[in-house]
Amino acid sequence: MKKYSDLEYLKLSKGKKRLYKLQSFFCAIPQKILALFLGLWNIIKGCCLKVRDEALDIYSTFVHGDWKTKVSFLVMGFGCLARGQILRGLLFLLFEVVFIGYMFIAGGYWLSMLPSLGKVGPSEEYNVIFDTYVTTYNDNSFKILLYGVLTIFFIIAFVYTWRLNVKQNKLAEQILSSGKKLRSGKDDLKSLVDDQFHKTLLSLPLIGILVFTVLPIVFMILVAFTNYDGTHDGYYNNLFTWVGLTNFNTMLSWTANTGAGTQSYAATFGEVLSWTLMWAFFATFSNYFLGMFVAMAINKKGIKLKKLWRTILVLTIAIPQFISLLYVSKMFAKNGIINGFLMSMGWIDEALPFWDKASWARITVIIINIWIGIPHLMLIATGILMNIPQDLYESARIDGANAWQQYSKITLPYMLFVTGPYLLTSFTGNMNNFNVIYLLTGGAPTNPAASSAAGTVGYTDLLITWLFKITTGAESQYYLASVVGILVFVVVSLISLVVYNVLPSIKNEEDFQ
Amino acid sequence: MKKFLAVLLSAIMVLSMAVTANASSLAGTYDITVWVAAEIVDLTKQQIDNYNKTNEHGIVFNATVEAVSEADAGTNMVTDVEAGGDLYCFAQDQFARLVQAGALAKLGVNAGKTVAEANAAGVVAAATSGDTLYAYPMTADNGYFMYYDKSVVAEDHIDSMEAIIADCEAAQKYFAFEMNTSAWYNASFFFATGCTSNWTTDDEGKFVSVRDTFNSPEGLIAVKGMKKLVDSPFHLSSSAADSFASNAAVLVTGMWAYSDIEKILGDNMGVTDLPSFEVDGTSYHLGSFNGCKLMGVKPQVDPVRAAALHQLAQYLTGEQCQMERFAERAWGPSNLNAQASDAVQANPGLVALNTQSPYSVPQGQIHGSWWDIAKVISDDVKAATDEAGLQAALDNYYNKIDALFALDTSALLFVGAWNGWNNADAEPTYYFQGASLTLDVPESDYMGGRIVNPGDWGTDKGFAQVVVGKELVKDLGADNPDNNIVFVEPGNYTITLTGSDITIVKN
Amino acid sequence: MTQNEMNQKTSGPVKQHMGLRASRMLSNSAIYVLLIAISIIWLIPFVCIVLQSFRVESTWQVGYVIPQQWGLDNYRNLFNTDFPRWYVNTFISALATAVLQTIIVLCMSYTLSRFRFKMRKPLMRFMLILGMFPGMLTMIILYRVLKDLGLTQQNSVPGLILVYVASSGMGYYVSKGFFDTIPKSLDEAARVDGATRFQVLKKIILPLSKPIVIYTILTAFMAPWGDFVFARYIAFGSSAGSNVAVGLYNWLNKDQIAKYYTTFCAGGVMVAIPVTVLFMCLQKYYVEGVTGGAVKG
Repeated sequence: MKKYSDLEYLKLSKGKKRLYKLQSFFCAIPQKILALFLGLWNIIKGCCLKVRDEALDIYSTFVHGDWKTKVSFLVMGFGCLARGQILRGLLFLLFEVVFIGYMFIAGGYWLSMLPSLGKVGPSEEYNVIFDTYVTTYNDNSFKILLYGVLTIFFIIAFVYTWRLNVKQNKLAEQILSSGKKLRSGKDDLKSLVDDQFHKTLLSLPLIGILVFTVLPIVFMILVAFTNYDGTHDGYYNNLFTWVGLTNFNTMLSWTANTGAGTQSYAATFGEVLSWTLMWAFFATFSNYFLGMFVAMAINKKGIKLKKLWRTILVLTIAIPQFISLLYVSKMFAKNGIINGFLMSMGWIDEALPFWDKASWARITVIIINIWIGIPHLMLIATGILMNIPQDLYESARIDGANAWQQYSKITLPYMLFVTGPYLLTSFTGNMNNFNVIYLLTGGAPTNPAASSAAGTVGYTDLLITWLFKITTGAESQYYLASVVGILVFVVVSLISLVVYNVLPSIKNEEDFQ
Repeated sequence: MKKFLAVLLSAIMVLSMAVTANASSLAGTYDITVWVAAEIVDLTKQQIDNYNKTNEHGIVFNATVEAVSEADAGTNMVTDVEAGGDLYCFAQDQFARLVQAGALAKLGVNAGKTVAEANAAGVVAAATSGDTLYAYPMTADNGYFMYYDKSVVAEDHIDSMEAIIADCEAAQKYFAFEMNTSAWYNASFFFATGCTSNWTTDDEGKFVSVRDTFNSPEGLIAVKGMKKLVDSPFHLSSSAADSFASNAAVLVTGMWAYSDIEKILGDNMGVTDLPSFEVDGTSYHLGSFNGCKLMGVKPQVDPVRAAALHQLAQYLTGEQCQMERFAERAWGPSNLNAQASDAVQANPGLVALNTQSPYSVPQGQIHGSWWDIAKVISDDVKAATDEAGLQAALDNYYNKIDALFALDTSALLFVGAWNGWNNADAEPTYYFQGASLTLDVPESDYMGGRIVNPGDWGTDKGFAQVVVGKELVKDLGADNPDNNIVFVEPGNYTITLTGSDITIVKN
Repeated sequence: MTQNEMNQKTSGPVKQHMGLRASRMLSNSAIYVLLIAISIIWLIPFVCIVLQSFRVESTWQVGYVIPQQWGLDNYRNLFNTDFPRWYVNTFISALATAVLQTIIVLCMSYTLSRFRFKMRKPLMRFMLILGMFPGMLTMIILYRVLKDLGLTQQNSVPGLILVYVASSGMGYYVSKGFFDTIPKSLDEAARVDGATRFQVLKKIILPLSKPIVIYTILTAFMAPWGDFVFARYIAFGSSAGSNVAVGLYNWLNKDQIAKYYTTFCAGGVMVAIPVTVLFMCLQKYYVEGVTGGAVKG
């Protein structure tokens, strides 16, 4: 495509400007992908170089260091202790003792079992005396995988700490040789509330995230490479083991869902994904515009009882969804209150199939989601609308702009600019909106063509509810759920990546400060 | 201590070999968890108290009785056996899944004998996988029949589905019959026309073969009947008792809803067997599943505790406790003596269930995925516009059953009738996996029947002729273009598959 | 209301034609009609639930809304079940989560907003990526970890609190957005005067952060009341370890719904009351928090 200079660009008509922007975005995609790969390559290269530098540094520390430093290579914290930094030295030493103790007592076992995920399954024996069967449980694949991963985490932490210990020695030698004093334990503690304050603040949240988010995610990714399911639960019936990429093959081998034919997971995934995206789009933007509209209506001058209107709307946020949504779901049932009312009024002869037909159910969930979502948007929009400088409207009015022009020229651009990041998070949030779908329809109506042995799939099922069905379905195929989870991650991250590259207001967080 | 004692005891006793178990060795206090349906929590507490007072072994159970619905119990047990209830109740359809998950302890030899003698045969079969009894039957009433509102449905209409639908439409009231959400109910139409889906399991609860005739001319009649129902604007897919409170006039459900419906409908409540539907001038009486609820014991590591728990399970599922549950909650007993009692014989709900029973099919072991596969038939049927669409619904079903076994590449598929392939009459499909199968091979002009590996479906790999007692002969000749095993003589054969070897013996 | 007055003041001097005023009257009455319609739609489900909870003539779902007989039987009935226990469980976990989660989130967001350290950007990016994994998946493993710690079934309350709180650091976006709006020059001035970082946080930032603190407390407090998926998994069949959502949800099981439907409604009202009241009282801060922080992501 032809590139315009700034001057040429400004001369273009409005439509052409838009077209040009769109074109440049799509033309830039190959470059961006290339840049991504280049970036990845640079990261890998950087890592290799870093490792080399570190190794060289460790070597030179050892060669040039004094005896205290040399002993520290084996006994962590020795250098610190010998140089009077008791607190640091003790911490290092304690960590080493704990690590070695753990590796001897348990870590070694978990690590050695990790490649096989266990060898001996449970066995059953008949006890003649009591006329009963007794089960003996042996290896536990689940624990082996879990604690194996934990042990690897621990080893990484140890290597890092060891490296820190070596660095400390080098630093201490340098400081001492330049004639300065080393920091005491008291100084260290003091710095924790001052220049190292961020470490203090972050330690607790990060440990929590590491144990309760990172570890489970790593574990679940690994499950995708095993045959962990209801009949291979790793302890009570059969052990599970590594199966390589088999599950990805099963998941990704594509044949179309013809209805009468066998169904492939790839095609089912495609169908569920397309509805998930459709849902996320409509759910996000219907809420966005209607919420903004309601907020503007309430904020309009001359409208009284603003607080009352807001309070009524906000009730949907305050009342737990499992109560309100379950109730609403029953209201729309074939024999529910709404159909009953319409029939008794004689407006319809037979019940409206709110939950029984695919398109009806899809539209109904989107509409009910508006009921859930408008209040959130109304609150956000209220705040933002108040922040728009009133003189903008004033001057627009003097220039003779009508209400629509004021809206499209002032309100909307301002809102879009400020809420860009919010739109993205609410889009991905809606993709994973488990509650609304699960409580309203549970995925119904069923899509017979896409349903398979792994469980039924419905027309309103999102990826996240499908995933839930796979895990709790008849076969409890955790490995498959894990593969789906990874694919969900890929989809969400791709969308975010694209949007992040297009939206200006996310990239420059400092601009706002 | 207890465990040590047990080891000691077993050492001594195995040596002497002649001494029988000393029951007093079970004496002690046990902390246990029991999972039962919410409505019998209090009753079960009482029954355990009774057991504590009356048992002769000196066993005292310190039991926590939790309300866990039968459906949840199965899922929970599969998720984590260890955290599950020591004793738990579940509906029969969960059985194979639980055996496979290692969540059920086998019954001892003596206990097995006692239970098998005391309970109805169909119920015992439901608790059996391979040749082993894995659970204690609690009820035999897990079937369904029809409740109706006498003020809406005329007494002389209750035998015809079409008449009932007409009554409902006229009154703008619903005919509630769960279809697209449960295969347990929608199979009713297939059983009406004589279709079957028979599955067999091995000792580990693994499914080894199925003989399924849903995809057949009879099946087509069944879906035509089903279409009549689901096309009615006043059909409601529900089996919940309170449908009657929100505009239903007919409900197909089971005994568990009896007391609730009685409260809702009062004198207007009618109960009867399921009606018949008519296709092409022939009338078919709707069939049903005839299942049961079971009580399982979680596998234990300690033989003493295990033995004590089995004692309790046997007590809780014995005649006395079953009668108590019947008296209090109208749960239909599985115990033969209890079934024969006058009170049970007189219960209107159980009478309706009995009237239905000639048309019912004992719910044997069914693959867990079948429920998901079969329940969507009704959605397909509703969407179909012509006979081809109905046939497509059956094909869809058939292909999924097919895929269920195709996932296991060690399985073999036997397709078509032996020596009867391509005959006009539809014949069953055999799926076959690591076990043996006995077949009657009919006399036929057409030398058909074929044996294929799932992966080879539709390919042409040469032929195999089986002469009784001899090896498979491949490359038979070009005149038979199929992957066939041809039996030269008709008769009854046993085919055994071990690894990749097939042995075929004429009986 | 202040907004309204301000609007009137600014528009005062502008000359308005009679036609304009009339059209405004017209559009305002259209808006009133709309708002009333919206309010009715929004309130119907809640009104229905409340009405059902006072119905005593039957306990199952019915096709009409207004009870034929009114009474408090359903509320009384709640006390014959494990509901009080569930309520206490939920209340404890909501309270503990509110306090602990607020501390964690504030630590996280304050640090990421105010400090510039080497790992800051990679850390934020890492957490962004982590957040894209569907959390549903990790339920199984979290359950096993908690089980190994002995925090499931009857002891599920501390277990739930632990999980709610532990991963809450990921939700720092809103409050970080809020802190970003507090001028940095305030901190710098204090630092020049010799205050430590901790003193800056205590003396300067916290007093300014009332809206976001209340917003965080409120959202953290509300979440446990509605959790029925994870809490159900952790309670694993134990009634003593259930929260209200799990307990009430079980009442809607096929075999229980006919007996417990109106009791469910009463339970729902009992759950909604504290959350709603709290929400109503603190709505102002919620709005400030959400608009100050959320829009910045």
